[in-house]
Amino acid sequence: MIGFKDTITTDVLIVGGGIGGLCAAIASARSGADTLVAEKSDSRRSGSGATGNDHFLCYYPKAHGNDIMPILQETFQSQIGGFHDPKLTLRFLQESIAMADRWLEWGINMRPFGPDYEFMGHAFPGRPRIWLKYDGHNQKQILTAQAKKAGAKILNHTPVVELITADGEIAGALALDVSSEEPSFRLIRAKKVILATGTANRLYPAAGTPGSPFNTAFCPACTGAAQAQAWRVGAKMVNMEMPNRHAGPKFFARAGKSTWIGVYRYPDGRLLGPFVEQATRYIGDITCDVWNTAYTDVLHNGTGPAYIDCTGINKDDLEFMKQGMVSEGLTTVVDYMKRSGLDVTKHAFEFMQYEPHLIGRGLEVDINGETSIPGLYGTGDMVGNFRSDISGAAVYGWICGNHAASTVQQGSFREVEHSAWVQERAELYSSFMDRKNGGTWKEANLGLQQIMASYAAAGPYNVRSETLLKAGLKYLGDLRKESIESVSVRNAHELMRAVEALDLMDNGEIIMHAARERKESRGMHLRSDYTFTNPLLNNKFLQVWQENGTVHTNWRERWGL
Amino acid sequence: MPPIINAEQCSHCGTCASICPLNIFTYSKGQTPVVAYPEECWHCNACVLDCPKKAIELRLPINYMMLHVDADSLHR
Repeated sequence: MIGFKDTITTDVLIVGGGIGGLCAAIASARSGADTLVAEKSDSRRSGSGATGNDHFLCYYPKAHGNDIMPILQETFQSQIGGFHDPKLTLRFLQESIAMADRWLEWGINMRPFGPDYEFMGHAFPGRPRIWLKYDGHNQKQILTAQAKKAGAKILNHTPVVELITADGEIAGALALDVSSEEPSFRLIRAKKVILATGTANRLYPAAGTPGSPFNTAFCPACTGAAQAQAWRVGAKMVNMEMPNRHAGPKFFARAGKSTWIGVYRYPDGRLLGPFVEQATRYIGDITCDVWNTAYTDVLHNGTGPAYIDCTGINKDDLEFMKQGMVSEGLTTVVDYMKRSGLDVTKHAFEFMQYEPHLIGRGLEVDINGETSIPGLYGTGDMVGNFRSDISGAAVYGWICGNHAASTVQQGSFREVEHSAWVQERAELYSSFMDRKNGGTWKEANLGLQQIMASYAAAGPYNVRSETLLKAGLKYLGDLRKESIESVSVRNAHELMRAVEALDLMDNGEIIMHAARERKESRGMHLRSDYTFTNPLLNNKFLQVWQENGTVHTNWRERWGL
Repeated sequence: MPPIINAEQCSHCGTCASICPLNIFTYSKGQTPVVAYPEECWHCNACVLDCPKKAIELRLPINYMMLHVDADSLHR
């Protein structure tokens, strides 16, 4: 059995030191709560915001006017807008500019172009521009420094692997110390826990490079830990069945397609979309935010490939774009292009649609960011009923941190050390270390990707059905059993990856249960047995949760204004 | 073999090993870090950016090739 280090007691535990986790930590610690961040890697450079970002959605009355409603509508129609409870989105927008002000005060350059905020990119001609363009290349270091300054403690290289509840409320978590070759467990007793583990990647084979599973646009260390752990203790999820596929350069998977300022063209030079003939820093080509499957469609119908052509932009915008690549954290792209003699003024780059991943799908949270488990919160990419990427994680992190800290006095510390659940899970993870010559975590992860691609595939040109999903769930059960009985790991690093593989299997299972219940086709959830979109479900979300191994689903209305 | 550490320039500070989002390095004090899990590299460039001695370069795998054409071919 892997050994346990001393138990830590903290008012507020934050799981994941990304944008959402760090903003939650700053708010919580500033409110006077004893605050601890447990981070898988090192919060200065972890997660999908590791090396930067450049678009921060927010409502700025000075630029947008005093009526917030057009900005709310623009948010819903943007690439992040599909699955929102409007009540949450409104609160987010109302509090968003204050967050930008804080980031600016802390030293993140939110005004790289002059004395005021500027909004550009991901925008339609003639419509409000809602994305504040900023320089986030050092955002993680600055947020880490602010969290420490506020008094939060950060435990790096210590991913949380299990949540602990008592009498239906949160009681703490089991973490795994991977800072050395030899793993150890760490129990953390907490009155409140805030989950902030980011996107879920490595669920499906990498679309461009199936032999390279870590070639993902978002951070491949983010593997749906929050959804899996919360699922295991009975929390409600929403929208897990709705696939999301990002797009960008082929075959090097990177986010940040709006950082590229250009137009999308067919090989014969025609434009893919009707929005702009000439791209500028303010209005790029939004075609692929709208026609999400474009790059796949043009391969399937033979009219492709599709290229981004940046050669028509003016010199100033070209320099602006190059700087934007650094702000967005795309210095690998910049360096590679330099070394390979590639130049955006001479070359056009093929774009592609990446494999499905989870972003804005997962935990159902209330207006304060609290999940269906009292004392358990969520912020960022693993929330299922609200999404606004960087700024969404930051603002709702702030909201969660404040709410958790302000209600901490009402909670009490509970027993975690003699939990049968902890014992069961610690024994399971320890068995991987004890076993010799077994299967590898990678085999388990690839097995999941194979099953997801065959039985829970996302559109376009792939379907789901009752029989496929039912078979997929059966095979997933077989894979999980085989993995639990046969995986062996040699050290803490491999154990962390094995835990990720099991977490991903839970995510796959949730997706398949929810996809079975969504008896219609919508977006990239295409059912061969229900080929139509059911208008009665337009304003509804599908909740899915489990209790003692029994899966429940329920349709609910969206929470309106 | 994504990050390549120049052992002569490396000051053995371990920063790359600490900050890597994918934890792909192993490090012992006073030694050059080892790229122990190269296939798990995300190619985010954090190690290159944070190395105080600029001793790391990142090589993209051959199959990550960033497909491109001469833009002029689209302007006929």
